[in-house]
Amino acid sequence: MSDSTTSTEMIEMIEPSERYELGGSSAAASPSRRWQSPLAALNRTAGGIGAVGVKELRGRMRGRRAFIILTIYLLLLGGFAWMVELILERNYSFSFGGNGTYATAAIGQGIFAALLMLETLQVAFLAPSATAGAISMEREKQTLELLVVTPITSVAIVLGKLLSALVYVWLLIAASIPLTAVVFVYGGVAPEDVLRGYLVLVVTALGLGAFGLFCSSLVKRTQAATAITIFGVLVMTIGSVFVLIFWQAMASADNGRGSGPIKGAPPQAIAYLNPFLAQVDVLCGTETTFGGWCSIENSLLQTQNGVVFDGGPVPAPMPLVDPGFNRGGVFPAPEGRLVAGDVAPFGAARDAFWPKSVVAWLVVSLALLVLTVQFVSPTRRWRLRRGRRHREAAT
Amino acid sequence: MSAIVQTHGLVKRYDRTLAVAGLDLAVAPGEIFGLVGPNGAGKTTTLRMLATLLRPSAGEAEIDGWSVTRNPDEVRRVLGFMPDVFGVYDDMKVWEYLDFFARCYGLPAAGRRRMVADLLELVDLGDRRDDYVQTLSRGMEQRLCLAQALVHDPKVLLLDEPASGLDPRARVELRELLRELRSLGKTILISSHILPELEELCTSVAIVDHGQVLAQGRVADIERRLRFGAVLRVRLLLEGEALEAARDRFAAAADVASASIVEDGTIELGFRGDDEAVARLLAESVSAGLPIVNFARAASDLEELFLQVTAPDRQPLEAA
Repeated sequence: MSDSTTSTEMIEMIEPSERYELGGSSAAASPSRRWQSPLAALNRTAGGIGAVGVKELRGRMRGRRAFIILTIYLLLLGGFAWMVELILERNYSFSFGGNGTYATAAIGQGIFAALLMLETLQVAFLAPSATAGAISMEREKQTLELLVVTPITSVAIVLGKLLSALVYVWLLIAASIPLTAVVFVYGGVAPEDVLRGYLVLVVTALGLGAFGLFCSSLVKRTQAATAITIFGVLVMTIGSVFVLIFWQAMASADNGRGSGPIKGAPPQAIAYLNPFLAQVDVLCGTETTFGGWCSIENSLLQTQNGVVFDGGPVPAPMPLVDPGFNRGGVFPAPEGRLVAGDVAPFGAARDAFWPKSVVAWLVVSLALLVLTVQFVSPTRRWRLRRGRRHREAAT
Repeated sequence: MSAIVQTHGLVKRYDRTLAVAGLDLAVAPGEIFGLVGPNGAGKTTTLRMLATLLRPSAGEAEIDGWSVTRNPDEVRRVLGFMPDVFGVYDDMKVWEYLDFFARCYGLPAAGRRRMVADLLELVDLGDRRDDYVQTLSRGMEQRLCLAQALVHDPKVLLLDEPASGLDPRARVELRELLRELRSLGKTILISSHILPELEELCTSVAIVDHGQVLAQGRVADIERRLRFGAVLRVRLLLEGEALEAARDRFAAAADVASASIVEDGTIELGFRGDDEAVARLLAESVSAGLPIVNFARAASDLEELFLQVTAPDRQPLEAA
């Protein structure tokens, strides 16, 4: 018996088509043993994703709720953009005495920054909370078992749930594009800046959605899953910034009078999953000087406008081109030049942090989805040692 | 004909407890097979292993020739499962619910509409097609869940306590429905501890306790094999001393192990004989002039069997 037990343990979760026939006789007794090509398996998974997706979207989009949320969301976003525009306009009409050339660019950048940050905030909380109940709710309502005894694959369940939740979040993101396009009226923001910002938004939504789904598959109760998810988001955002500042405070040299207990700069990877810092990097790309967002990025990430100086001592902070004015693009630099384009002093390039964040999120999403599939699968290979067993023991 | 559902030495172990301890089952095609046992006997665990929801710790289980561990996908295609506790999705209409599960089985769009209509007709929910699932009564939900287990026209149905929480009318309806399904050629495996219900419905039963099959076969066969005592209740139109005299008379009869007065006019007999002996005892009593109003077995046959087979002196099994 022990032989057959071991072999059954080993073949768990292997796709049926690849399964090695052990018993032989029993399987041979049934004449219709299907061989499944990879294409057919893919087709089957796609069908499953469609089934779950259609079901989820039917629930999510039914009635007026989804559209009322969308309307309120756009009204709030529009109102916020209007408010920022008014504040900046008043501010600049005093400071510039009617010098509109720089003022409109600055207003455009200001609105863009405000909208991008607000949308990031919205994605950071909406995407994970849209998925945090997806699996645990099925467990709570005891519907998951009905689903997993169908031939639908765990991959299809997980992807169907994720995509149907993300479709709604992405819809909200897409609906804000026309509003964001208002910044082109003011100038100061290039189309590629907007694209970068939205790329970060879309990928962050994917990653945080996968994170919420993972939490949902990990714990049984939706409430707990939501709490863990929100806590995780706070750790990634506020927590990572806190660690960066803490590390730097502990490590910083005090004008040659000795350094703190930690050696070296904090690894930038701490902030890879912080979507706000990724957006700060995108916003830094809109600036003509390296004040404003760029200086925030420099001080937090110890970059020179996106480039980390690896190894060796951390160089002294780069002299800002326009130390007196942190509002990007407001004044020409003292040397009489506008630092435009991607080339910065010391040969440092802009836009070096957000791509890392995007790649990190893609990798993390994939890992989280693989784990989620494992947790959804009824006869999964990896099992949490404690807790689950008692639940199963209740016959 | 060979069995369509088979288990050999099926074991499920949790820590040091054996939920299922070497269970052997064989269910022939077309049967309504009852899995009877007290709470915690391992019925649900067994069904969940058959439904590919739990991996057996050891042993084999096959459905329609497919191994539940090696070919779970094939098993899922020939199997309809209804768990003991289940929920329904909110925010879904009855037809959407079935349509969703039909999609999960990869049924083509063309056939789904027709199939949903047929199934709703079968479970008598045709007029609730466009209602929301959460507005259905418990009995309707149960029938909807049964319909959901049938969307892919499975050969085998596993029903875990299908009648729990149903009112008497819903139970009768469920029983009729299961008979209809049997006539459609389905093999049905039901677990229950509500015995009279199974007795009427099942063609065969397995009595399970402590994770093992204690007896298996047709109800009448098991009964014959295991009968080593029955309780007969005799109600007489007698009181006081006359009743006591009657009791003593019964106690002296052949095959009667014990006789006691349980309530006014009723004597309970511990009886060891077979049906012929019962008939003989009755004939003798009547010819002796006892005014018998009622003469019957105390409990339903299956219930009685169950109590005998699962007597409390059996020790719970512990894994080594």
